[in-house]
Amino acid sequence: MAKKVTIYTSNTCGQCKMVKKILSMKGHNYDEVNIDESPDRHQEVVTLSGQQRVPVTVVEDDTTGTQSVITGYNPGQLMPALI
Amino acid sequence: MSEKINTDVIMIGAGPSALSAAVYTTREDIKTILLEKGVIGGLAAITDQVDNYPGFPEGVTGLDLAEKLEKQAERFGADIRYGEVSAINAVDGGIEVKTADELYYAKAALIATGSDYKKIGVPGEEEFYGRGVHYCATCDGAFYRDKKLVVVGGGNSAIQEALFLTRFASHIDLLVRSTVKASEVLQKDLQKAVDEGKVSVHIGTTTDEIVGKENKVTSVIGTKDGEKVTFATDGVFVFVGLLPNTGFLENTAVELDETGFIKTDKNLMTAIPSVFASGDVRSGATMQIASAVGEGATAALKIREYIEEQARS
Repeated sequence: MAKKVTIYTSNTCGQCKMVKKILSMKGHNYDEVNIDESPDRHQEVVTLSGQQRVPVTVVEDDTTGTQSVITGYNPGQLMPALI
Repeated sequence: MSEKINTDVIMIGAGPSALSAAVYTTREDIKTILLEKGVIGGLAAITDQVDNYPGFPEGVTGLDLAEKLEKQAERFGADIRYGEVSAINAVDGGIEVKTADELYYAKAALIATGSDYKKIGVPGEEEFYGRGVHYCATCDGAFYRDKKLVVVGGGNSAIQEALFLTRFASHIDLLVRSTVKASEVLQKDLQKAVDEGKVSVHIGTTTDEIVGKENKVTSVIGTKDGEKVTFATDGVFVFVGLLPNTGFLENTAVELDETGFIKTDKNLMTAIPSVFASGDVRSGATMQIASAVGEGATAALKIREYIEEQARS
């Protein structure tokens, strides 16, 4: 089952680092959008999550066409979305 | 749930206190598992700049410090796992610790769960959480480039994080309920920011309500000298103190003080023999990274003594 993972992060965000760490530990590749380096992409975070917070992790399932959006460092929500 | 996982010491939390303790226990070949539900490094990891932790003449970012502590603990064999503890019980001469997926059994345990930022408890605070109300400047400050901000609080954290936020915000209104109670260095830096027009400090000003429209914060209403005051703003960052992470200890024999911090004796042992506590979660802690690390080391030595005594008896 193909899953595409995108994480929205900022440079000084410790929770963002934790999400990246847990994804790497579980062997998942991900794309990263750093909102410090790409301030033009702030609105994507708000549109996806309804909030102005990072990290925001988007897990897209190509097979089913579904999308999970997890705000903050939340392994309890993230792990099931990756299965 | 899989079979019980046996270890010598189970540490609940992987912030600076537990990581320091783990360096000590693992160097003595005491098998050590740490369970962390949040960020490794705790509140330190989400603090921008740490200037008062010894050994770093130029200061260190909280994130770097947390990574170094983690690496050092792992170097000697600390096993850091992600998990949230739901129960802790004294069983068969040892300690049983449960998470959602696993059951652990250890000769001793260390509770070093630290603390979390308190909420103000005003209307609008919960409603606009993440939509203009924040508790982590290093996470969310970047959203407020060239915007106005309110920072609530008058202690070290509030001043430190307000100064961090001046990198982004066009202006910050700092609302202080009584007086600024921060270190001399931070107060000097704050005065510099005030002189440069980046920050306005409002002493004796309460925060009464956070107001917004269409899912965005627009202002903060407070009271100063009995008069209502309104601050137009794009966002609010709250730093009004710390609450201990001891909710999971309800209905256990671990004794808490009247504000929820863990009571310990002079050996850092709690009311449950073989269960120790260190760092910010402990009653009487001074809420500094340096003291949390020191307490972690002390707790580790006391844990070692305890395990050796039990082995002799």
